[in-house]
Amino acid sequence: MQKGEMYVGWSTKDDVRKRGGSGGLVTSMLAAALEKKFVDAVVVLKKINEFEAVPIITSDVNEVLNSAGSLHSVPSNFAKLIANRNLKVALPAKGCDVRGIIEQGKRNAINLDNTFIVGLNCGGSMHPVVTREMLEVMYKIKPEDVHGEEIEKGKLIFETKDGKEHAITIDELEEKGYGRRESCRYCTIKVPNNSDIACGNWGVTGDLVGKATFVEINSEKGAKLLQNAVDAGYVQVQKPDEKGVAMRAKIKGVMEDLGKKWKGKVFVPIENGRLEYFRKELEHCIDCGACKTVCPTCSCGDVSKCTEYHFRGDAYKMSMYHLVRFLHLADACIGCGQCSDVCPADIPLTRLYRRFANPVQEQLKYEPGMDMQKPPYFEVKLNE
Amino acid sequence: MTDNVYSTICPGCNFGCGLYIRENGTLEVDFRKSSPANAGKLCRFGMSLPKLYAPAKSVIDGKEVTLEDAAKEAAKRISAGSAAFLSFGNTTCEELVAFQKVAGSYLCTGANFEALPKDTYQTLSVGIPYSEIEAAKHIVLFIDPYEQYPLILRRLLSAKKKGAKITAVWWKSMPVASETIKPSDVSKLALTKDSLVIADFHPLSDSEQVKSVLALAKNAGARITFLKPFANSTGAYLLSKDAKQKSLAQLIDDINKGTIKTLFCLESDPSALIPSETLSKLTNLIIQTGQSSSAKANIVIAHEPLYKKKGTLINNEGRAQALGGAGTNGLDALGIIAGSKFEFNALHDSLKKAIGISAVDEFTIPKYDRPAYGAIQAAAKPPETKTALLSVYNPFMWFNLADDNDFVELNLNTAKALKLLKGGTLKIKSNGASIEKKFKVAPVQENVLITTRKFGIEKGMLTSVEISR
Ligand SMILES: Cc1cc2nc3c(=O)[nH]c(=O)nc-3n(C[C@H](O)[C@H](O)[C@H](O)COP(=O)(O)OP(=O)(O)OC[C@H]3O[C@@H](n4cnc5c(N)ncnc54)[C@H](O)[C@@H]3O)c2cc1C
Ligand code: SF4
Ligand code: SF4
Ligand code: SF4
Ligand code: SF4
Repeated sequence: MQKGEMYVGWSTKDDVRKRGGSGGLVTSMLAAALEKKFVDAVVVLKKINEFEAVPIITSDVNEVLNSAGSLHSVPSNFAKLIANRNLKVALPAKGCDVRGIIEQGKRNAINLDNTFIVGLNCGGSMHPVVTREMLEVMYKIKPEDVHGEEIEKGKLIFETKDGKEHAITIDELEEKGYGRRESCRYCTIKVPNNSDIACGNWGVTGDLVGKATFVEINSEKGAKLLQNAVDAGYVQVQKPDEKGVAMRAKIKGVMEDLGKKWKGKVFVPIENGRLEYFRKELEHCIDCGACKTVCPTCSCGDVSKCTEYHFRGDAYKMSMYHLVRFLHLADACIGCGQCSDVCPADIPLTRLYRRFANPVQEQLKYEPGMDMQKPPYFEVKLNE
Repeated sequence: MTDNVYSTICPGCNFGCGLYIRENGTLEVDFRKSSPANAGKLCRFGMSLPKLYAPAKSVIDGKEVTLEDAAKEAAKRISAGSAAFLSFGNTTCEELVAFQKVAGSYLCTGANFEALPKDTYQTLSVGIPYSEIEAAKHIVLFIDPYEQYPLILRRLLSAKKKGAKITAVWWKSMPVASETIKPSDVSKLALTKDSLVIADFHPLSDSEQVKSVLALAKNAGARITFLKPFANSTGAYLLSKDAKQKSLAQLIDDINKGTIKTLFCLESDPSALIPSETLSKLTNLIIQTGQSSSAKANIVIAHEPLYKKKGTLINNEGRAQALGGAGTNGLDALGIIAGSKFEFNALHDSLKKAIGISAVDEFTIPKYDRPAYGAIQAAAKPPETKTALLSVYNPFMWFNLADDNDFVELNLNTAKALKLLKGGTLKIKSNGASIEKKFKVAPVQENVLITTRKFGIEKGMLTSVEISR
């Protein structure tokens, strides 16, 4: 097996295959990595309820096997979880998780040589509270009655405990303010080729639909991970058919174009003064610091410029905390949406950070988290 | 290796914010995004919880001992009589039910229900669902949402987006309110039956002020909801409805008179509320706690922190929420003091019975009686007109936790009149004490200084002060 190859595969464990998002390959690959001592630990999601799970680090193979399945709501980014822990670890990762991990790698908080990143294709994730409200308002079903969910042909489908399926198009949901988080709508990383191995259901065809995972090997580490799982008897693979490969590329293209369209829709030019716009958006900030804590590309600890230059007793039009962060994130923000998710004042922070990051990253031709290119701000040299 | 992650509730106030605490060498906060009260969002205090949860050690007269020995010694000293029992409600309903049994005739929740009409008990104890706040047409704030109960802010913003008008009766204009009325001009407040009054109720509340907001709402037919500062204030009040309760003032009085010699505090730091001169008169201060406390206790019974406990908390809305831990050694300690073991399940059943539910489900708010209360004669004095220091009670104050708040806010005209220097300080004098503080110019009313920190010169919520450069 080597970089660039594609396969369709599945877990050899029936129950994992059944519970898995699309064949249980990811789960089995992670479990095999642990079992064969490829890694010391694995990150998995522990389910709290139908709409929420919490990421944990575990060395327990059974815990890994139990974690199969995709959750369309969004936990905290995994990068911060494994940062500064010096682990040999394998983990599943959506595009934004992968980007966060790579950025932490550049900041020496994660050793990427010891990190095996199993990328998940990602069409978008949802906030659990929004999802519950959406179920009641749009689907007219009780959140407690939901048994499973899936996305198919542009529709978000919920299965209820009585076996019935309830489908609404994602376009319609998003028009009404539900559906994917705003950052996911304009996110452009749909197939995480920045991971070691990218896994998803796009490209799985025929009888295997829903029962197999499509994988693309992106690195030598990725090849080793998959080979290990096959050798250990955890996973079975076969070559994908051409139709599947073409279909996957096509959907990826369509999704990326949709992302660009959303970007245009969200980032309409600011009309009446930039300072006033940002000041107004931030006027309810209660200084909780959650946006920094959660940010997967920030690797500062308690001592950081944004907090050290900031005193709550200052009366600036915009706090030093925000000013420093806007500056620091202009080249680093990956648009993961976590800051908006956790802001207690419901400030659309990702949108604000991207207002700085979009032009800066476009001009510098730099996309953080996509590869090992050094952040442009690291290269800035000040004249004496 | 498996991470220990606890699904828990923030004890900073009674809002009921869900979060995860992860034990990873140090403690870390993670966001529980499906939590119904807060959608996983936390305020500054919630984000500081790892600092709060500094572990406590069991101690008898300065010597480290086991929890069991500390509890046994506490039982012995309590049995000598003249003992009072204080819990603000910073722990589970199950522990509080057990605590009531231990407390017998001298129970204090800190709240002064005695000074308030009996028929307002339920209204004071349990508030309305946050969804009703979001749906209100006119909201009147007698609190500072930004500092005191920060997770209410997004509910107010959501109401505002839907067209609600927000009026603040406060000492400072706040961005969320489109209209601000000085507390001394409260007679100008126009309420209708579409108004929703949001006030707060806590051990330091002035009973006359509480009566006057109750009366305002009553006279206009408006709804009223009280926010509270402790993790389970609502549970504590609902569960002790039929118990004979002593007020905090009475407790302080009894300690000063010498009729109370032993004070047992359950998950409550008395130094936040009882003057140190009073506490020093006690023969025995016994503290049962899950985190280290600043009070100098004779006996500390140290058990697991709240996030590791098993049990139920009830938030401002009356929502019952389960803590994600499994620990019951707080109950074990109470059992030693009571002389008979407490069974968690029995206590849990009595809680369910008390609030009329068959199971704890965080997504469903139990139905509560919301009885109307009768007309109230209120005789609140209008606040002082001289210069006053306003202490805005907030979680950092209640918990004696350090924060970046060592300054006062004041009005631009005041700063100009005193010729204060940018970046300089302000002298504040009161009752012979003098302090010097940095200041921040903010839209506060003239002749008011605002602080969110305890400086040590305060006499209640408003302290009369003299200021100079
Ligand atoms: C939010 C989301 C959106 C997706 N959108 C698409 C898509 O549009 N197109 C496509 O081809 N594939 C998509 N996928 C991937 C797909 O659902 C499967 O996860 C993938 O095919 C692997 O299937 P599997 O059976 O091998 O995985 P499994 O064996 O079920 O393993 C899944 C692994 O992912 C982890 N996981 C589950 N939910 C999350 C989450 N929210 N964040 C991080 N990790 C998680 C689990 O802990 C587990 O380790 C998405 C996945 C997620 C989580
Ligand atoms: S930001 Fe992108 S990768 Fe992350 S959850 Fe949203 S769509 Fe998926
Ligand atoms: S600023 Fe916000 S969107 Fe950007 S990387 Fe940080 S958390 Fe993600
Ligand atoms: S998360 Fe929101 S409230 Fe908290 S510091 Fe950031 S912007 Fe301010
Ligand atoms: S609002 Fe109250 S409960 Fe919520 S995080 Fe802040 S202090 Fe904790």
